[in-house]
Amino acid sequence: MSGEQIGLWAGFVFTLMIFSYVLGDNILYRIAVYVFVGLAAGYITIVTVESVLLPWIRGTLLSPAAGIGGIVVGIIPLLLGLLLLFKTSPRLGRAGNIAIAFIIGVGTAVALVGAVSGTLLPLAAATGSAVRVDVINGFLLALGVISTLTYFWYLARRKPDGTTQRSLLIRTVGALGQFFIIVTLGALYSGAILTSLTIFSERIGFIVARITGG
Amino acid sequence: MGRLGSALTSAVAIGFGLLTLLGLLAGGFFGTIANLFIQITVITAAAAVLIGIANLLGVHFGRIRERRGGWGYSIILLLSTIGVLLLYILERANVLTGTPAPTTILLESVQVAIESALAGLVLFALVYGALRLLRRKVSASGLLFTLVLLVLLAGALPLANATPLALIRDWLLAVPVSAGARGILLGIALATVVTGMRVLIGQDRSYRE
Repeated sequence: MSGEQIGLWAGFVFTLMIFSYVLGDNILYRIAVYVFVGLAAGYITIVTVESVLLPWIRGTLLSPAAGIGGIVVGIIPLLLGLLLLFKTSPRLGRAGNIAIAFIIGVGTAVALVGAVSGTLLPLAAATGSAVRVDVINGFLLALGVISTLTYFWYLARRKPDGTTQRSLLIRTVGALGQFFIIVTLGALYSGAILTSLTIFSERIGFIVARITGG
Repeated sequence: MGRLGSALTSAVAIGFGLLTLLGLLAGGFFGTIANLFIQITVITAAAAVLIGIANLLGVHFGRIRERRGGWGYSIILLLSTIGVLLLYILERANVLTGTPAPTTILLESVQVAIESALAGLVLFALVYGALRLLRRKVSASGLLFTLVLLVLLAGALPLANATPLALIRDWLLAVPVSAGARGILLGIALATVVTGMRVLIGQDRSYRE
């Protein structure tokens, strides 16, 4: 039996072990899940070392072309990683805050630019131009976008008795936004059902093929 | 020392954040610096991933050593991880050869099989969730949700092509669903901008905890 055949039979056994959860939580399901987590941890380690860390070390610390500046730059992320290691200690945990602060600072800038140039501007432009392409549907689309955003409008006026209330206009448009949100969530739910149904039927096909030798 | 440390972490987050923002917007010399910062962040994040995995293995090793509940499962987890790493090392040392490589077989046949089976299992949870929604008190929101769900599921049937149901499904996806999704995405983007600005002006300092 070749290595591939052994792998396919192992996949068959693990698929059945996972599907045994339909009958309730049991030892077979748990074994399969722990194997999954263990394998995933191993693969993530390999990919992280092979594709991220080693190329960086080769390109900076071990590169003959890298001068003192290259070596310093190469060491910085490794030092920051070392500082992160302190986060596991209750006493020295604060030392890791510098590394966290660096990641959050740079990550925030990237997220900010990404949100504006990747989502805000393109979606606003696409919604605006949709009205020119198809007046009725484009208008409905723009109305849906505006009302959905209004639904998340939490500013309200405080009344003399201490309670808060949003204005009538915001409440009305927000209610329309709720309609669009419910329709969207229903569509996402149906998409999730269809996706999992497709994967489930593929797995059933795999099990049948293994049993019948197809 | 505590106050100095807090000020230093704030300065690091704000300073490097603003420099990166400037580099991403202006390009040129600052763009090169921003790219370097992003690369350093990626490498640091990779180191964080390895620390996380080491922590996971450490927790399970501790469970085995102290014979805590479920320690047998922890042995399975550790053996699986060690097995993959050992296979990889043997492959790199050319002790194990073959096409496809043993780690590839393990990934494609076992890892992907378990992943797919778990994704397939979600079907039962989703259908059960939908049934529970139907059993609850009837509300306008629940009715609308169920109606959209049923129309889209029925519209996805191959038989429904070019029927009114398929046309309704296409319109639903093109107009109200698209509008709702765009509204939600724009809301997320606006929240990202607000939170990002709060971090960059030092109003949000959760990294100091």
